[in-house]
Amino acid sequence: MAIENNIWKLAEMHISGEMTEVERIALEMRLQNDPIFAAELQECINMLRSLNGSARQKRFRSMLHDIHHEQGRAAATKEPRTISLRTHYRRIAAVAAGIMLLASTGTFWAVNTTTSKSVSQYTKLRKEVDNLKRSQIEQGAIIKDIKSTTEKAANTPAIEARISGTGFAITNDGYFVTNYHVTEGADSIYIKDNTGKYYKAYLVNYDAQTDIALLKVENKSFRFGKGEIPYSFAPKKAALGSYIYTLGYPGEDIAYNEGYISSRNGYQGDSLQYRLELPSRQGQSGAPVIDNKGNLIAIVSGKETQSKGTTYAVSSMALLKLLQDVPREVRMNLPKANKLSRLSREEQIEKMQSYTFSVKVYK
Amino acid sequence: MQSPINIEQQLLADLARGDRKATEQVYKQYYKMVTAWIQQNGGSEADAADVYQEAVTILFEKAQSEDFRLTCKLSTYLFAVGKHLWYKKVQQLQKRPGALPENFEDEGGDVAYEDDINSHHERELHYANLDSALGQLGEPCRSLLKAFYQQDKSMQEIAAEFGYTNPENAKTQKYKCLTRLRKIFYGVQANGN
Repeated sequence: MAIENNIWKLAEMHISGEMTEVERIALEMRLQNDPIFAAELQECINMLRSLNGSARQKRFRSMLHDIHHEQGRAAATKEPRTISLRTHYRRIAAVAAGIMLLASTGTFWAVNTTTSKSVSQYTKLRKEVDNLKRSQIEQGAIIKDIKSTTEKAANTPAIEARISGTGFAITNDGYFVTNYHVTEGADSIYIKDNTGKYYKAYLVNYDAQTDIALLKVENKSFRFGKGEIPYSFAPKKAALGSYIYTLGYPGEDIAYNEGYISSRNGYQGDSLQYRLELPSRQGQSGAPVIDNKGNLIAIVSGKETQSKGTTYAVSSMALLKLLQDVPREVRMNLPKANKLSRLSREEQIEKMQSYTFSVKVYK
Repeated sequence: MQSPINIEQQLLADLARGDRKATEQVYKQYYKMVTAWIQQNGGSEADAADVYQEAVTILFEKAQSEDFRLTCKLSTYLFAVGKHLWYKKVQQLQKRPGALPENFEDEGGDVAYEDDINSHHERELHYANLDSALGQLGEPCRSLLKAFYQQDKSMQEIAAEFGYTNPENAKTQKYKCLTRLRKIFYGVQANGN
């Protein structure tokens, strides 16, 4: 047994390097003369190294776990995902000569504040319309244009919008919703319905974090359509793989797109978002995402920068929460009945059209 | 004035010692970059965190060897290793066909990462065998060896805890336990191979 103990002692000393010169030479002599002992010692040394290595790795792993959880806690108490910092670039595309303005689409890169170094993969879907230099001729043309539309709407804005997005009605008497990033920094906000009429609106409430803004059309006698809003708001999260569609305004005309829920969590695992396989373009920010039964399940808010078909949408739960948080004096009668559930998709879209419109923002 | 690579080399040396601050810095700095990629490629948040921790552990193990020098940025290393780990995991789960995406061999020198991952897996197997050998060890040996190696307790503390009259006696007991462990461990390994 003493020999057994001795070999471990030697192995430990060998690893720690605590050996006098005399001991070391004696050991080496012995190792040369006794290959069986040498092999045994090597085995002991290897096992001790493994024990140490395994323990070191365990400690490191548990430290990583600890760091991870601390980070999670820190993130939970701070703001999980704030999109505020952005740099933008614009690409100016010349549109045909004549009366129309130069149009430019800007892509906004939102950078997560908690990861200042990594480039975000998230692109907001508002559309920037440039109002650069305008010649007299162009202005004249606009004035003419305004004159022709004033019969239809009393207060058409005099200049071209800077930002355009999509909005949809919450109540028939003028409350509607779009993305907060569409309205951010606005001087004035108008909606333009599918007949081309403009109506001035103001911001009622918003949540920058979930990127939802609640607005209201100023005109008190305004109504979106003939009856109450035909869709209702999904009170819980829709299932993975649900087929969905959206109506939005990437251009001046309403556009239809369809897809499915590809993940129940959105950008970077955000549980208040969905990830959708749904083609989307600038200008569709704020567009309603509707399921087969005519429930509003989400609001288009951004897309994955690198891919074509991946769109992120804020869930109806985030919207309902914002609606609950509005000031007391705001009285909203939310739609209770869903009038779309039995209709075919074409009929649903037909009904939806008066409640979905373009949001124009001026700065 | 230190060059960025020297700063990273120093950071890595601290991480290799198990220094909490350095580890935290590295961990947090590249967390989003790697996990965001994994989540975009079909992983859940938990999957992404697991893979990332595995990648950092591989870096830790790699940094243990004294002649280890960074040949690329830490970000590049962690990203490449995380990516490989994720592809392997996906293949194992057979969520997708076995083939890697076409642009997989993008950064060159990927073979080196592959080697690191393979030797990491070998090491994991080795450690798992050691753990199972420890598990087969009777008491008080198992607790005693765990106390010394994993909980980093001194022989003094162990003697007190396990009721030996002095540290020297505890040490003798430890050697006995090591001898038993060695028999089981190399037995396990022989069976394992």
